[in-house]
Amino acid sequence: MPRPRLTAPERFWSGWFDVVPAYRLATLRVLLAVITLVFHVPKFNRMIADYTASSFHVPPAFSWIPVLSPAGGMALMLAQDVAAWGLLLGWAPRLCAWLLAGAGFYVMSLDPEFFAHNAHFHLTLLALIGCSADRVSLRRLLAEDDAGSRCPAWPERLVGIQLAIVFFYAAVDKILSPYWGLSGASLAAQHLSTRGPAFDRLQRMNEAALPVLAGALSVVTIVLEGFVAAAFLIRALRPIGIVVTALFVLYLEFVLKPGAFAWDVLAALLVFVPAGDRAWQVAYDPACRTCRGNRALLSPLDWLRRLRWTPMEDATSSAARGELELVSPWGRVRSGFDALRVLPIALPGPFLLALIVARFGGGFLAARGYGAWDDLPFLMLLGWLTLWVPGLARVLGQPIYTTVSRAWDNWATAARPGGGADGSVRCSHTRGIRVGDASA
Amino acid sequence: MVDTAGSRVQGWRRYAALAFIGAWLGVQLAVPLVQKLGVDPFAPRYRYARYSWAMFSRPVPRFEVSIFRTRGAGEREPVPGIERYVRGYRSPAPMPMIAIYSSDEEVLDRFTRLVSTLARERHDGYAYVASIRWTAKHSGASDSVEIRADAAP
Repeated sequence: MPRPRLTAPERFWSGWFDVVPAYRLATLRVLLAVITLVFHVPKFNRMIADYTASSFHVPPAFSWIPVLSPAGGMALMLAQDVAAWGLLLGWAPRLCAWLLAGAGFYVMSLDPEFFAHNAHFHLTLLALIGCSADRVSLRRLLAEDDAGSRCPAWPERLVGIQLAIVFFYAAVDKILSPYWGLSGASLAAQHLSTRGPAFDRLQRMNEAALPVLAGALSVVTIVLEGFVAAAFLIRALRPIGIVVTALFVLYLEFVLKPGAFAWDVLAALLVFVPAGDRAWQVAYDPACRTCRGNRALLSPLDWLRRLRWTPMEDATSSAARGELELVSPWGRVRSGFDALRVLPIALPGPFLLALIVARFGGGFLAARGYGAWDDLPFLMLLGWLTLWVPGLARVLGQPIYTTVSRAWDNWATAARPGGGADGSVRCSHTRGIRVGDASA
Repeated sequence: MVDTAGSRVQGWRRYAALAFIGAWLGVQLAVPLVQKLGVDPFAPRYRYARYSWAMFSRPVPRFEVSIFRTRGAGEREPVPGIERYVRGYRSPAPMPMIAIYSSDEEVLDRFTRLVSTLARERHDGYAYVASIRWTAKHSGASDSVEIRADAAP
């Protein structure tokens, strides 16, 4: 099978008004809406409440900006909440996105202390999502299995170029700043934010290393940001650029400074991934309860419309044994545990959403003294990466796959009365997912 | 089935989209550049600026500020109702703060305006003071500054 190109749309510098699959922008919108709901709207609403409860204010950034009254503040807070939910659900998403972006820039302009780079980037992405004409609501994204929705390409190209602009100027700033360049004084003086205990040792090591390696790390950071900016614009560099960007922002999030910036960047990277191509094949037999269970679970998670459910007769023997079987776009057959661990790659939207919810939900719980939940996204990511360690996969593969398949099978049984545990609609082979060879 | 109905950008919408794309890219490229280097192309001078994607570009200065009032050489007294002026502020105990996105001038300007407002509104003969002590990563000349505004009796 020919190796498909990783990046899409096909021609970056031309065809801005071509139509492309709408699922990338719809997925990006959902992720941005969740980040907005769990982080930015509470933060901006807190700023508005503080601002309207105070009688002293510094002049706003622009003299023509109206000062916020208490009644106006209440209305703005309510509007932000409504708009964030509208954005998530896909109800008047363009209006909601522009309202959120406008309200956010307005609040940041009221007082210099309300400014934050991560909020600036988030609002910029919201404004670009406000240009999207994807018309794929959350219900359609989850409940329907269509792959035909299309939208103009230009908003997602602007998102890609915006990423390049952000990293380009970040690199320029570090070249010109007296605290970066060859000295790396800014890095040496970094005060690392504390996270949960899993991070603590890693952060202490990083803190000890930064002053020693500051100059070298400064140069590496500048080169890396410059490379990433170029990689977003040069097709040949893009696959490696996406990987480098993801690793870089995860380093920032987990080891240097946690914030919303990393998650916004990771979400924005989705504009570069393929969508609507049904390139991952999953063996499927309508008469097989396990297969229907797989489909009932995975289809709502296939936001980018990458899975194709192929008839069982085309599948290999492992699928016939009732194992989950995926055939990658590159033609590699993965079954059982191997298929399970590759699912986050095939379904990046829900995987990223799970990490985002874990990050902000964990932070919420940890801040209220419910334990070291800050570590949750880190442990989730580490757990998934561990599944790829060859030796560990051989040991862990069987128990993990058995546990997941059992829970999966139980869920599938409970979810659809027609496919009851009595096997009333049962496939010809044995019930449940069988455990494959983890080292396969 | 591929649903492209209404997805094509044609006619005036195409020109509007082109205008938007041009304006967006122009703003996104020009604003950070001007913010960083100024408007004079023959004498560019780098400075830290907001809205210029200058993440982590400088060490974050930290400071403590005490807001209080005093009469003559008397003790520091708390400013009554300081919470009403700025929610979250307290007096006269020092408040640790970070100037993560602000310059020294902006910090001084903020507290100058605050003590001036306090003095102007209270008319009680006290001197309203904001005492700022830089605690970390400060590149300015002095490690502490005291801003004072006398209220008319």
